[in-house]
Amino acid sequence: MDMERPLSANERIKEKSRFLRGTIADGLTRVDTGALADDDTQLTKFHGFYMQDDRDLRAERGRQRMEKAFSYMVRMRVPAGIVSPQQWLGIEKLALERGNRTIRLTTRETVQFHGVLKSNLTPLMRGLAAMSLDTIAACGDVNRNVIATTDPSRGGLHEAVATLARDISGHLLPRTRAWHEIWLGQERIAGGVIEEEPILGRTYLPRKFKIGIAIPPRNDVDVFAQDLGFIAVVERGRIVGYNVAAGGGMGMTHGEPETYPRNADVIGYCDADDVIAVAEAVVTVQRDFGDRSNRKHARLKYTIDTLGLDRFVTLVNDRLTHRLGPPRPFTFESTGDRPGWAEDEDGRSHVTLFIENGRIHDLPHRKMMTGLHRIAELDVGRFIMTPNQNIIIADIPPASRPMVEALLAEHGLDDAQSGLRRNAMACVALPTCGLALAESERYLPALITRLEQELDRFGLAQEDITLRMTGCPNGCARPYISEIGIVGRGPGLYNLYLGGAHEGTRLNKLYRRDVDDDGIVAALSPLFAAFAEARKRNERFGDFVIRTGHVAATVTGLDFHENLASDLRS
Amino acid sequence: MMKTAVLLPSSAPFAADQIDALNGVIGAASAEQRAWLSGFLAGLQAANDSRAAAPPAAPPAKRVPLTILFGTESGNAEALANQARKAASKLGFAPKVQDMADFTPAQAAGVENLLIVAATWGEGDPPQRAQDFYESLMANGAPRFEKTRYAVLALGDRAYAQFCEIGRRIDERLAALGGARIADRIECDVDYETPAQGWIDQTLQRLGAEAGAAGDTSVIHVDFVRSGSEAEADQPTRARPFAAEIIEHVRLSGSRSTSDTYHVGVSLEGSGITYEPGDALGVVPRNDPALVDAILDTAGQGGDAALRETLTQRLDITTLTAPQAETFARLTGTEVPPADWLAGRQVIDLLERAPGKLSTEQLTALLRPLTPRYYSIASSRKAVGEEAHLLVGAVRYRSHDRDRSGVASVDITERSRAGGHLHVFLRPNPHFRLPAEPDRKVIMVGPGTGLAPFRGFLQEREATGAQGANWLLFGHRNYTHDFLYQLEIQDWVKSGLLSRLDVAFSRDQPEKRYVQHALWDARRDLYAWLKDGASLYVCGDANAMARDVHAALLRVLADQGNQDEDAAKAELDAIRRDGRYLRDVY
Ligand code: SRM
Ligand SMILES: Cc1cc2nc3c(=O)[nH]c(=O)nc-3n(C[C@H](O)[C@H](O)[C@H](O)COP(=O)(O)OP(=O)(O)OC[C@H]3O[C@@H](n4cnc5c(N)ncnc54)[C@H](O)[C@@H]3O)c2cc1C
Ligand SMILES: Cc1cc2nc3c(=O)[nH]c(=O)nc-3n(C[C@H](O)[C@H](O)[C@H](O)COP(=O)(O)O)c2cc1C
Ligand code: SF4
Repeated sequence: MDMERPLSANERIKEKSRFLRGTIADGLTRVDTGALADDDTQLTKFHGFYMQDDRDLRAERGRQRMEKAFSYMVRMRVPAGIVSPQQWLGIEKLALERGNRTIRLTTRETVQFHGVLKSNLTPLMRGLAAMSLDTIAACGDVNRNVIATTDPSRGGLHEAVATLARDISGHLLPRTRAWHEIWLGQERIAGGVIEEEPILGRTYLPRKFKIGIAIPPRNDVDVFAQDLGFIAVVERGRIVGYNVAAGGGMGMTHGEPETYPRNADVIGYCDADDVIAVAEAVVTVQRDFGDRSNRKHARLKYTIDTLGLDRFVTLVNDRLTHRLGPPRPFTFESTGDRPGWAEDEDGRSHVTLFIENGRIHDLPHRKMMTGLHRIAELDVGRFIMTPNQNIIIADIPPASRPMVEALLAEHGLDDAQSGLRRNAMACVALPTCGLALAESERYLPALITRLEQELDRFGLAQEDITLRMTGCPNGCARPYISEIGIVGRGPGLYNLYLGGAHEGTRLNKLYRRDVDDDGIVAALSPLFAAFAEARKRNERFGDFVIRTGHVAATVTGLDFHENLASDLRS
Repeated sequence: MMKTAVLLPSSAPFAADQIDALNGVIGAASAEQRAWLSGFLAGLQAANDSRAAAPPAAPPAKRVPLTILFGTESGNAEALANQARKAASKLGFAPKVQDMADFTPAQAAGVENLLIVAATWGEGDPPQRAQDFYESLMANGAPRFEKTRYAVLALGDRAYAQFCEIGRRIDERLAALGGARIADRIECDVDYETPAQGWIDQTLQRLGAEAGAAGDTSVIHVDFVRSGSEAEADQPTRARPFAAEIIEHVRLSGSRSTSDTYHVGVSLEGSGITYEPGDALGVVPRNDPALVDAILDTAGQGGDAALRETLTQRLDITTLTAPQAETFARLTGTEVPPADWLAGRQVIDLLERAPGKLSTEQLTALLRPLTPRYYSIASSRKAVGEEAHLLVGAVRYRSHDRDRSGVASVDITERSRAGGHLHVFLRPNPHFRLPAEPDRKVIMVGPGTGLAPFRGFLQEREATGAQGANWLLFGHRNYTHDFLYQLEIQDWVKSGLLSRLDVAFSRDQPEKRYVQHALWDARRDLYAWLKDGASLYVCGDANAMARDVHAALLRVLADQGNQDEDAAKAELDAIRRDGRYLRDVY
């Protein structure tokens, strides 16, 4: 990395943080403010939480002689997204008692608590620890929650990737005891053993790092949106190895073409036993070559485009005992979940529940919180959080299925969704997200209702089309890799992207700039009509708009901002 | 009731026959009649030219010693005691005013002429600072009062079940202990001024005469004109409040708060009011016009402008008392509602029992006068000059299927705006002051609006550069929506003026947390501070909070001083007598 350029501020903060301690513990004792020291708010991410303030309240606070309405978003680390019914009940209790009484399923198979007051952080962390759950490295410049395809109906395979996700997560976890000291009050190791971070290094990674594992034909994890992806290669019913994909990522900044979403490149194949070694090799290359001066250019995707793919692969191989082999063939079919029931050979049932934008709370017609509570009380099976912000109740024994079905019906959790809604995701955005430029989670449901009416008119009500919305270009709902992407530009204004591949293998392209609610509907309606009219057999909407020339196909991330239609009407 | 033939001395500024006539009337008059008469005369005088030169007082030969003993919580009794002192000295007594707080029954028993003014608090409890005196007076070992002439003025509020309980008990106890009651006890309701003043004048004369009869030949010069509380005539009073312009009117509670608290700044310019931190402002409120209409409708009154005005500004149209219920029943020929029916009900509920049955006169006669409400001043003149800041929490609740609104708090917060006016007068609270020593440590327990006086204290200590450490304990419901004056408090923490801050927000976590819990959690430091001579102040809710804080303090003293309950209680009493445990609770 270029030594001329100064290190980014975060690097200095990490450097002097004494392995992520900073002055967090001290800040917790200050009762005059709900906030923590600025530098500490960078460090708390490594502990799994962000300082936020309720943006709905900003305007009134000054008048009331009160500081911003600070609270914290706490994100759990749950590799592969699997928790037990008992753990679910515990999570719910914590959300009710320490959070804003909602549970937010994320696009990375875990849970976020929102609205947690400073005074409730420690009880929350302790509550999680008591259930052997934690938030370590759920955020921050580290390897984030490792996600894996959630397909319990393929029992053995699912078990294998889930275990792998846990192993990778554990292997790449920070070694510092800071979390246990600050939140569980554990003593600093006597004599203060000089801590080390053999893999991540004392200043950790240049930026966040994400790993996902997919079992084709399902690409629910959006493996090409991950910094590092593993694509299972299955022979005679078991996973023999993985194709390795590197350099995926979504985030960009409006008006800064040097930032762009990028599709991961498949760089080779490794045996099942070598996955951890490969993960460590890629992580350490990023650690050593990633850009530590400019955080907007620090993700692995930029490291790869700076080094050149071949150089990068060489650097990785140099750190491996078994070099990567040539990729094996694979095919993906979808990125979405399959709401409803599935049964496996041993007769166990699994039901995937659609949770709109992952927000679990009781609505008049859908009592999600209560419904899941009642099901968890049955204490059967497991709860699996999907990368599509949904939840699966897995491994339900035949005897219990009728009971679960009854509870789903009773709480309105089994109602059918349109093809568009069940394939849609929105990021959190307002009011908690500090980076939001526009509404997302609070707006998407209404927009979908409008679009459903259009689709209905053309007989497309049950058509599976992926649509993802985010309140800013960071891309938390992976909007650039969906058939329809809607990205916030400002209050009520969005950019509209089209032409992503339904199975998540191709990014989309800008189709309309700064369109509002009506503008979005007006832009999409004629395309739906044409699609219904002129689609080829089994042709996907994302492919159709490219074939019929409405947008050019995006090949690599580098051409994401290129080949835009001349008439980007807005 | 015993009478004395001679009341007006021959020196009275009347012709002999006038004196006889007056003596005839006054002598035969009941305490109430005399009270009324004296109030009438005082009022008449105030109404006429108050500069009327009074005839010079002929110095009495020998002054009769008189002790005026008061037990007060919010100062009314003390104010009356001081009025009595003025009147007494003009009548030729040698009066001295005593707070029960620093007086014992033994001392009292040594007094020959004793006038007692006693308020009742809690549910028939003595004022906090009078507790010791009261308890030992009631105790078995209490001294005899054979050589004491005494009379009792009881202060209370008919809205409370144990009306004037404490005054009554003291009166009966002194009689039982052999004291000579020289005048019937008067029990004053919230509109106590006039009757109290009359009773005082009349009782003093009786006492003077008795003392005289008892071999002491002092001539008593009566001066109706100057008797009474006109000494502060230039100061705004509850009768003549000052119209203070509202210059700041800000809701401090967040939009999602479950409470509704306002910062209200008024200008005292030209009022002559000079307050000290710890004092309160009396506010004369206006009733809710909507409720006035409802009352008029139900009572069956068209409600001409004048009547409406009276109901809005002069009469209490909410508080309901048992006597009112009886009168109403009598007037309307309806059943007297059972006592428990009154609970949580108001005048409007009573009227609804027999709508449209009252004449204007009956209605206005039925209603009690509208009394002022008090608000701790939340500022220091050294910081805000001619302003006074109030921290007012709107009182709203539902009872018997009706939404009820506090008269004054809602008038101030909801029906007032910046640019409007509040009618105010000063209600000094000399017993709730910062320590005289600037470097004495101060602990302030002020949840909710109890924070008000401490904002004044802190402004004062900041302005005077007092070096003593300051510790504030604040509490409310939700940290995010109810942290009153948070930004100011943060500045004080930063500047070091606040050397310690603890908070307790009850609704932020599953377990309820209040200031008493914060006190307990901080027990070690708390004990150290007290040992270090710190003054501890408590302000806010009288019923739950003050009681729980008191209990918590006892537990802390027991735990940290590892001593038993009694020892802890003794230690806290000692601290209180030392003037370092002060409460302003309501
Ligand atoms: C909750 C979640 C969205 C959701 O609705 O599920 C989310 C929410 C936030 N993301 Fe994200 N991100 C979430 C998945 C993603 C993804 C998708 C993924 O990981 O598969 C991406 C795109 C992939 C990628 O990383 O490129 C993503 C790219 C970002 C970025 C841009 C990163 C970049 O390098 O471009 C930011 C901003 C940043 O890091 O500077 C960000 C930052 C944020 C923050 C923490 C805002 C902040 O930094 O202050 C958001 C918190 C909002 C809130 O109030 O909860 N989030 N974020 C997802 C939590 C995942 C998890 O459990 O760990
Ligand atoms: C020395 C002193 C200082 C004070 N300082 C302050 C201050 O700084 N800030 C402040 O806000 N207040 C303060 N108060 C209280 C204030 O004086 C008033 O008592 C308060 O504002 C209520 O008056 P109001 O006219 O609004 O209500 P009112 O019309 O007097 O109604 C209050 C009455 O309503 C009834 N009531 C209230 N709540 C309920 C309920 N939930 N259920 C049933 N009945 C109920 C009770 O009988 C209560 O007495 C102080 C009081 C004193 C004595
Ligand atoms: C919290 C509180 C409780 C009271 N309790 C009683 C009571 O039980 N009986 C009563 O007659 N008056 C009661 N009163 C009315 C007071 O005695 C009355 O306001 C009196 O004027 C106060 O006198 P002080 O200012 O000298 O304390 C109470 C007043 C308050 C604010
Ligand atoms: S995409 Fe932007 S607005 Fe949405 S959650 Fe992520 S950072 Fe916030």
